[in-house]
Amino acid sequence: MLTLENINAYYGDLQALWGISLQVQEGELVALVGPNGAGKTTTLRVITGLLKPASGTIHLHAESLTKDPPHKIVELGVSQVPEGGRIFTKMTVLENLELGAYGAQARRERQQTLKEVFTFFPRLEERQKQVAGTLSGGERQMLAIARALMSKPKLLLLDEPSFGLAPILVQFMFEMIRQINQRGITILLVEQNVRAALELADRAYVIENGRIVGQGTHQELLAFDSIRSAYLG
Amino acid sequence: MLLQLLPQSIVFGILVGALYGLAAVGLSLVFGVTKFLNVAHGELLMLGGYATFWLFQLLKFDPFLSLPLSILFLLVIGVVLYQLVFVRMVKLPEEAKVKNTMLVGFGLSLILQNIALRLWTADDRGVTTAYSRIAYTVLDTRFPLIRVVSLVISLVALLALHQFLKRTYAGKAIRATVEDWEAASLMGIDVHRIYLLSFLIGAALAGVAGSLVSVGYSIAPGMGLEWTLKSLIVMVLGGLGSFVGTFVGGIVLGLTESLAGLAISGSYREVVGLALFILVLIFRPQGLFGAKER
Amino acid sequence: MKKIVLAAALVLLLGGLIALPLTQVQDNITNLVILVFLYVMLSSSWNILGGFTGQTNLGHAAFFGLGALATRLLWLEGKWPIIPSIMVGVGAAVALALLIGLPAFRLRGVYFAIGTLAMGQILNVTVGNVLPEISAIPPKDLATYALLPRYYVFLALAVVTVVAAYVLANSRLGLGMMAVREGEDAAESLGVSALQHKLLALIISASLAGLAGGAFAFYHVGYYPSFPFGPTWTFDSVMVAYLGGTGTVIGPVIGSIFYVVVKELLALRLADYHLIIFGALFVLVVLFMPGGLVEAWSKIRKVLTHGGAPTPPPQPAKREAGPLAKERSELSE
Repeated sequence: MLTLENINAYYGDLQALWGISLQVQEGELVALVGPNGAGKTTTLRVITGLLKPASGTIHLHAESLTKDPPHKIVELGVSQVPEGGRIFTKMTVLENLELGAYGAQARRERQQTLKEVFTFFPRLEERQKQVAGTLSGGERQMLAIARALMSKPKLLLLDEPSFGLAPILVQFMFEMIRQINQRGITILLVEQNVRAALELADRAYVIENGRIVGQGTHQELLAFDSIRSAYLG
Repeated sequence: MLLQLLPQSIVFGILVGALYGLAAVGLSLVFGVTKFLNVAHGELLMLGGYATFWLFQLLKFDPFLSLPLSILFLLVIGVVLYQLVFVRMVKLPEEAKVKNTMLVGFGLSLILQNIALRLWTADDRGVTTAYSRIAYTVLDTRFPLIRVVSLVISLVALLALHQFLKRTYAGKAIRATVEDWEAASLMGIDVHRIYLLSFLIGAALAGVAGSLVSVGYSIAPGMGLEWTLKSLIVMVLGGLGSFVGTFVGGIVLGLTESLAGLAISGSYREVVGLALFILVLIFRPQGLFGAKER
Repeated sequence: MKKIVLAAALVLLLGGLIALPLTQVQDNITNLVILVFLYVMLSSSWNILGGFTGQTNLGHAAFFGLGALATRLLWLEGKWPIIPSIMVGVGAAVALALLIGLPAFRLRGVYFAIGTLAMGQILNVTVGNVLPEISAIPPKDLATYALLPRYYVFLALAVVTVVAAYVLANSRLGLGMMAVREGEDAAESLGVSALQHKLLALIISASLAGLAGGAFAFYHVGYYPSFPFGPTWTFDSVMVAYLGGTGTVIGPVIGSIFYVVVKELLALRLADYHLIIFGALFVLVVLFMPGGLVEAWSKIRKVLTHGGAPTPPPQPAKREAGPLAKERSELSE
């Protein structure tokens, strides 16, 4: 469904991604793991169009995303929950959700989608009139995910959804992600919490210093000594 | 003796302050969303004034009723200016964006001013309608009808803007873009369109203010700089982020000028505002109402 | 070898300029050259704070105006000789710079620009109110008004200004100023005091503008005292500096020549449209060629000498801060 081929990306003169290639099949839950600064967020930014690659291509099914601006990519069905959520703190919970359904199609269906989202996240329904800035960390993250779901995405990109959350919430978060995937939404998950990510995902890519250094299922990756000791030891 | 003039001074100050506020809200919206510091804002205001003036002069259109036409005129000019000039600066980093749009704004103000000069001469113009002389007197204080109507129109415009931002999708998109444009684009919001929309709304507000100035006061091709400065002053006084605050800032400036006019000669009126501006810039850069950002 | 040629050319130019009024050339040509000198001084002086140090001063006319005001009062009313009058004019401009320097530099970036704009307007309006009457050389003195000394005063002062800019640009002080322009915080971390350099740039800029004001006062027969305080003078200085190329020494000079020549040419056919055209040119320069004519010239030279094939630029991608900064700093660990 999503194919990245040989992506090279730069921040100014600094090269951040070197020949990144990866694939996500429809319905999968794929993880992209690696240490801090490895290029995980950068990869997501390239997919959503916030950063234009210097070379390489991105395709969603047959459609090329490489040159598209972010808002067009969202229209095509790719939605991202950025690192930290980045909800609009000055707007209410409801307004945040409404903005999630900005595209014409999503806007038409938004009452229905809202109902579904509230079933999934009842806490948000309670707080819908509240200004988003007053929510707790966990609630904000929930709002960020809910907001992304409002656009009825085919592919959901999650950037470190567990970051900064208390361990109990992390469990809850991953369970929710699993459920979202089970409803048919393809997911690309970027995570620092390698163990949890590998348990959750069908497959994973390992990225280090801007390069893909390994990929495979949970079992296959465990076979790599280096990965095992570096991340799971 | 001075005390007798006080209420009149206050009334006049508020009435003109409303126009300062309206103009400033336009500039504030544009700057807040796009970080373009369009110092040709005063020239846009001037053009609005001339639109109203000529519609009245040549077609006998009532200046208040012809507001939609002058808004339309400004929207066209706004689109032209944006697509020809400002759109090229969208991608610049913030500091360069602010500085370059300011410089470009000066170039544009030079162009617009001189075009107006060529076309319409340097004479002061104003719209004088059949009802221009009507004034209501309450407790020895005159309330000129035209200026009161202008105040009402300014408030209506402000209210309309507020509702637009609060209730419409486009308005919410604007608010989202102001807070976090990357997150906004991840929502599917075309940030470029939002920039254009904000720029146009700012131009329209300037046009309305200019139209009201042409009826209640007077216009001339060279008025741009003074009004740009006033808008900047009020924008800083009111602090970014709150349009109500900006509008009130306009009233404050109007009142300050008016009251100062009781003590010192009227020709120093402009100086009062400028001095206040510098003081606020230095000692309270977040404005009278804004939240501390630094 | 190149330096000798350059020096010879400069000497020739200077010689030519000195000899100019002594030839049969008409007065209006002389006046045009004087105008060039005036703009050279105005734009070069602005350039020191605006181009070298990167602080956009939009109140430049205030220094010009003060220099003119003090000079005119002393020379015309006080009957002082012209040179000391001009000196005091410079002093007045410097005094203003010292007065506003510290508070002004509490403002950063665009706030400095609009703050100085307001300051300039305050002086403009105030002088206009305090001295509303025209300042004119009395008729009996008009008889002895000679263009020649005015020309030489302008020539000398313009040379002084350009030399000062050149010396500054090649000095340690100038280097410090440019460091401040490139990034105040970075400069500070290298031990360059941003405030000191900005203040010095302001003082030098003001003094040279005051010098121009003094020459202006000496030259004009009659004008309103508030005239040199008008914002048009600031914008002209900025515009000419940008047209020629801010941040260079030769830029303002080229810009001035270009401005005056084109203005004269336009005056023949498109009188009074010149401001519209210059406004448009300025916009074009800011948008497409921020290095001005100097940049355009070096591009043309490159095309001529290298046959036109440009070296490919390093990879695109816009500069990003925020999440990147976190990743970049950890990348380097």
